[in-house]
Amino acid sequence: MRRIETDIIVIGGGATGAGITRDVSMRNLRCVLIEKNDLASGTTGRNHGLLHSGARYAVKDLESARECIRENRILKKIALHCVEDTGGLFVTLPEDDPMYHRDLIEGCRFAGIQAKEIPVRRALQIEPNLNPAILSALHVPDGTIDPFRLTSANALDASERGAIILTHTRVTEILRSGTKVEGVRCIDSKGEQLDIYGQLVINASGVWGQEICALAGIELTMFPSKGSMLIIDYRINSVVVNRCRPPADGDIIVPGDTVSLIGTTSLEVPYDKIHDNNVTDEEIEVLLSDGEKLIPNVSKTRALRAYCGVRPLIAVSGESTGRNISRGIALIDHSERDGLDGLITIAGGKLMTYRLMAEKATDLACRKIGVNRKCTTHKVPLPGSEKGISRKKRIKEFSGIPDSVVGSTFYRHGQRLQSIMTKEKRNYRLICECEMVTEGEIEYAIKNLNVKDLVDLRRRTRIGMGPCQGELCAYRGSGLLQEYGGASPEESVELLHDFLEERWKGVRPVLWGDGLRESEFTYWIYQGLFGIARPVKTKKKRTDNK
Amino acid sequence: MKYDVLIIGGGLAGLTCGIRCAEKGLRTAIISGGMNSLHFSSGSIDLAGYDEDGEVVKKPFDQVKKICRTRMDHPYAKAGLPVIKKSMDFFIDKTSSAGLTLNHNADMNHFHITGLGMLKPAYLSQESVFSPRGLEVVNSREKIAVMNFKGFRDYYPEQTAAYLKKNRIFADREIVLGEVSLPWYMNTQKNLNEFRSTDLARIFETEKYLPRIAEEIRRAAGDATTVSLPAFLGINNYRAIRKRLEEMTGKFIYEIPTLPPSILGLRIDHALKDSFIGHGGEFIAGERAESGPSDSGMLEYINTRNTGREPVSAKFYVLATGSFFSGGLTSDSQKIMEPVFNFKVNADGKRSKWYSWFFFDAKSHPFLSYGVETDKNFNPVNDRGRTVENVFCAGAVLSGYDPVREGCGGGVAISSGFACAEKITGELKK
Repeated sequence: MRRIETDIIVIGGGATGAGITRDVSMRNLRCVLIEKNDLASGTTGRNHGLLHSGARYAVKDLESARECIRENRILKKIALHCVEDTGGLFVTLPEDDPMYHRDLIEGCRFAGIQAKEIPVRRALQIEPNLNPAILSALHVPDGTIDPFRLTSANALDASERGAIILTHTRVTEILRSGTKVEGVRCIDSKGEQLDIYGQLVINASGVWGQEICALAGIELTMFPSKGSMLIIDYRINSVVVNRCRPPADGDIIVPGDTVSLIGTTSLEVPYDKIHDNNVTDEEIEVLLSDGEKLIPNVSKTRALRAYCGVRPLIAVSGESTGRNISRGIALIDHSERDGLDGLITIAGGKLMTYRLMAEKATDLACRKIGVNRKCTTHKVPLPGSEKGISRKKRIKEFSGIPDSVVGSTFYRHGQRLQSIMTKEKRNYRLICECEMVTEGEIEYAIKNLNVKDLVDLRRRTRIGMGPCQGELCAYRGSGLLQEYGGASPEESVELLHDFLEERWKGVRPVLWGDGLRESEFTYWIYQGLFGIARPVKTKKKRTDNK
Repeated sequence: MKYDVLIIGGGLAGLTCGIRCAEKGLRTAIISGGMNSLHFSSGSIDLAGYDEDGEVVKKPFDQVKKICRTRMDHPYAKAGLPVIKKSMDFFIDKTSSAGLTLNHNADMNHFHITGLGMLKPAYLSQESVFSPRGLEVVNSREKIAVMNFKGFRDYYPEQTAAYLKKNRIFADREIVLGEVSLPWYMNTQKNLNEFRSTDLARIFETEKYLPRIAEEIRRAAGDATTVSLPAFLGINNYRAIRKRLEEMTGKFIYEIPTLPPSILGLRIDHALKDSFIGHGGEFIAGERAESGPSDSGMLEYINTRNTGREPVSAKFYVLATGSFFSGGLTSDSQKIMEPVFNFKVNADGKRSKWYSWFFFDAKSHPFLSYGVETDKNFNPVNDRGRTVENVFCAGAVLSGYDPVREGCGGGVAISSGFACAEKITGELKK
């Protein structure tokens, strides 16, 4: 059995867990991060990627609004390559209460959010696809953020500072000695057991935190709230479009990379249902019809995927329904709450406040183990975001390579472009043509970014995330994964199968029009041409024939 | 009236139908919107690959016979066994006259190897995939080299080798990997690492390169007597190229289909088009049928994209527009449609019934069996509920069969296309 000694053990590889691991590492403490699946595979990777200005909360939850705008400004500095400073609009539809617009301006002023009223004509200039019937428009400093890149960059920074990142590793036991937590026992994807001992365990596993607490023998109740989103092919808006009304279903359209997202619904789900991530036909209906009200083109655009996430809401006060429970941060010291030393839980909050949550959790952790070091995560840029590389410099340095290809890699990895791209022809050939992912980017991800399967590879690079959903690049990705030592040839085919099944989950709810066409083609290729689903049976059959 | 028969769709079904009509002396035209599904096929023709339980079928005609008896909505039942048999012989004959030999295993299915090293049953294959000599090679115990071209991103021989090894036939065979490189071709401005199969096929078709390729193959394969290559031994003169390569290398060369475009499929496509034109047919590429009135129970004419208001008419029409991918069927969030004439389709009403929960469900997906509803003569029904008697439907636009799960896509396209031609010639004789 393997055994690791460390200072801090972090459970959960979402933005918060990765953020804590980075923070702890930056305070010169040893840290191990344990994630049962992949980085950003839970709630973190299942939101709409909005870099909140805070305006969404300015009317009802001033504290959240203030946190948001503060973090918004920090992230625009430290996470350049994960963030797009698009700006956002709040628009009032004829059917909406026109008074909310006033309340919002007021709220933004209290929260310190720069919200500027602009004429409808100007709003339509900024966003020509917008519903021309809108009554008023407000410009706010919203933006977009890529949760996969953000989490990966935090983990990368931490590991470059010595932290150990263990993905696809599940905690099976909290190791206790009396009333003190001493570490965790886990099992990795190969079934190997591993014991990790540390001074303190931080439970940052979001909605799954309830299970971790149960392993520690204490009770923590989550109120899971499911939010569904729809991705439409093509980026139909250039700025974030919000509906100017109290938060409700289908009131936001966020541009992100090459697509746009319509979000979100909110539905309380029982805890035992947090694993079935199914978007219902009714939810699709709501998102499409409400999205169409903001941008009428939505109905004519191809729906690419639908997915959902589960918000890890903790009822701190008495409230217990979805949108009404505060999305504020809950930091729990279990020695105070339950008399169990060596364990703290951080939950609630939002992707926007992941860094702040990490800071709070790390501050408490440091206090508890008697270390006095200050947080610096708000000052030090994430790897890749140290500074920009001008287009001129990119063109000069990588002349001969299409600028769009260089630009895509730069967009996703920032300054790390220089460790990814070379002028070697094989390096910059395209593997995923929809998202312009090069072989070099894939090689870099497999070797540096904790990639264990093709789904992980997708989160690091966007391979298979474009309109074709992996039609050709999934196969190429599997071939490269085994070439670069990420899997055996045999495993790579199994991972290819799993990858396509995973893509299908998101395509299935919106299977019509071009999506159905594309799926038929993908099925033809992988089942008709390659026969991927018959390895076992064919083998058995052949045995019978002999 | 310019044509006796106007065929909408230039895929396997439309071309087979067209060749038969043209051969019988009918004025025949095919309008084709673009590439057909042969471009992403394995290039082997399956007739009945799997039975109801998903088990591999040994004798495809026995399975076809069973289908004809038990599943009246299946296109095979409408074509009937004698016509299906005749259509296969016809197809072999016509491709052969156009220079492409298709072999079968004495009417039994044979297996072909996929890029992932799986074995799939087929009825007809090209010489580089199935031949009496190939059978000998499979039964020998000699060494196999699974090869690729250096920098080709659409094929990974390690996967082929790994899964072949898992198969009992090849389990005790020595399988080595090999890589052929084309350094002398590197002076191209193009990125060789982004070449597709068609680009590589072009290199093979350039005769002066063959000796160098042969030398590379010999070097990379070592003492292996059988060499598998991703399929790009040329498109038009592939037979000669393969023969020369075999002579020069002294090795048996086997071809494995890779990601599209499929060179093996393109060969069939070219052979069929040559045959059709050779019989006097008119092939109109880049054209699309858009609508046509059939209220009376007869399609009067069709409007096409390029002819504008000038309608095109014929005595008979064949709808061979394929399934969803080719645009023969379309859908919105509520329903499945046949977009040109709005013919009645066989499909489930509720969207949640269109698909299976898992992508690779053993039962495949219901949408693969959807298509135009036809009577036993392959005549469709229009939106007023009337049978349209001068329109026949063929190939993947038809409902009632699952081309992938049953392994019968090629067989249905060929036999239904042929059957439609037989019905039309029968009608014209009356």
